[in-house]
Amino acid sequence: MLNDVSVRKGARTLLDHANVELRGGDFVALVGPNGAGKTTLLRAALGLVPLAGGRVRVNDADLALFGARARAAELAWLPQHSPPADALPALEAVMAARYRFQETTGAARRSAERALERVGVGRLATAPLATLSGGERQRVAIAALLAQEARFLLLDEPANHLDPAQQAETYALLGTLVRDGTGILCVTHDVNLLAHTAAAPRVLGLAAGKLRFSVDYGSAELSGRLSEIFGVHMLSLAAGSGRVIVPAPPDVGGPSA
Amino acid sequence: MSRRVVALGLASLVLTAVAALVGPSLAGAQGDFILWQLRVPRVLVGALVGGTLGLVGACFQTLFANPLASESTVGTTAGATLGALAALALALPGGFPTVFACSCLGAGLASVAVTLVAGSGRATMGDVLLAGITVTVATGALSVGLQYLSDSRALVAASRWALGQLPQVGYDGVLVLAPVTVPCWLLLLTRTRALQTFTFGEELAESRGVNVPSLRRLVLAVGSLGVGACVAWCGPIAFVGLIVPHVVRRMVGAELRRVLPLSLLSGAAFLVLCDALSRSLSPGRELPVGVVTAALGAPGLVLLLLRTRRSAAA
Repeated sequence: MLNDVSVRKGARTLLDHANVELRGGDFVALVGPNGAGKTTLLRAALGLVPLAGGRVRVNDADLALFGARARAAELAWLPQHSPPADALPALEAVMAARYRFQETTGAARRSAERALERVGVGRLATAPLATLSGGERQRVAIAALLAQEARFLLLDEPANHLDPAQQAETYALLGTLVRDGTGILCVTHDVNLLAHTAAAPRVLGLAAGKLRFSVDYGSAELSGRLSEIFGVHMLSLAAGSGRVIVPAPPDVGGPSA
Repeated sequence: MSRRVVALGLASLVLTAVAALVGPSLAGAQGDFILWQLRVPRVLVGALVGGTLGLVGACFQTLFANPLASESTVGTTAGATLGALAALALALPGGFPTVFACSCLGAGLASVAVTLVAGSGRATMGDVLLAGITVTVATGALSVGLQYLSDSRALVAASRWALGQLPQVGYDGVLVLAPVTVPCWLLLLTRTRALQTFTFGEELAESRGVNVPSLRRLVLAVGSLGVGACVAWCGPIAFVGLIVPHVVRRMVGAELRRVLPLSLLSGAAFLVLCDALSRSLSPGRELPVGVVTAALGAPGLVLLLLRTRRSAAA
């Protein structure tokens, strides 16, 4: 999807020759410390920032040549903070995400209702966004993302504001979408959530604007690679049939990474 | 909620129609003339102008993501006023078509200036509003300069016009304004969905398929044309575009599917009613309608802001 993409802001290089492969049915997780350029990478993929170099290609075509509606059919975005349109009911907020479809209000409403049901907040349809909790608003935002019915989803911390059960549900839902052929590129701080996708995610590590590694979620290498980019010793602990990766407590000595 | 939509729409239409009957009795032979040659054309022009200002105000509030944006706060009205005033005060030849052209040109230039000052492409909405205020202040100063330079007969005509009023005999105003404003309404209303998606921010709207630069160009251009036409015919009329969308929003919610058409209808009703007031307050004499809209609109807006703040605090 990203071919050798660079983004600069003034003299600073925010993204340095990044290459990301994303196909339908792929789940790619993007991890890295704060300020590594994760959000910039998503925005570059969406065509929202000018590229200093490289190309974004979707279906073997240059994204820059797409019209706005055609691009919206390929890529949908869940930003980290979605600006609240306060008095608008949740259902209308989801309907607004279907702009790319030429359809009647009734058809938009039905699709929006289905999307709200799918993330388990159908009961909130008539509630104004301003009255929703952070977690509810996040789920409405995810419903809007689904309602756009794009082939690729670019998500910036979809588990934001969600409690542990909802985080697990959200990643399980993403896993279902991937098995149905959607391609997902997902910024996350917590790689352990990827276990809930029941897919086989690939994890990309980004630090200081450069992609440092690409390993499978199941790989034994992962905790070591995470330790490198976060600059903190990450422990891999067996849990159930898999493992969790957590920062080591201070009294556990780490290998000098 | 949808009952309120129908109620507000119907009330606006009925009030607009009834306004023609307000005023001294229509009995006798003169009655027919007063009704059909004075009141009805006046109501029709009032409805065309009020509807345009209300709708453009609602669109600008959305486009600038700012509840205080309206054609009068982003410089469009000021530009139109300056253009028309230049034609009137300098007594340019050509009569009304010249005033009309100058007014639309002024509105368009002010809108272009606002977008240019703000850096066109990826400027934030705050930049645009600031640029609008700059243009308004600058054109205000130029207008005063123009009045100072013009000769006394032209000055009287220009300053009467600048108060904003609707009186007229016959249907010239309707014939001039309808072919301009009605297509503007239709064009703006076709952008309802794009504007609704736009309320979630420029970038999210862009990612959902809205061509943001083209949306912005279209709304600014069409808004300028409509406002330019209205200002040319009856002078600057303040507060309609600012207050009407606020009242509508409070009554029917934030969905633009409802807010835009109802701002049009209620804007028409509001201006026509203000005009009915202006001709019946002091018998034998008329207040300019611009004075009435400002007298009702300014305190109304303050009241709205206070109530909004109280309900936000509660």
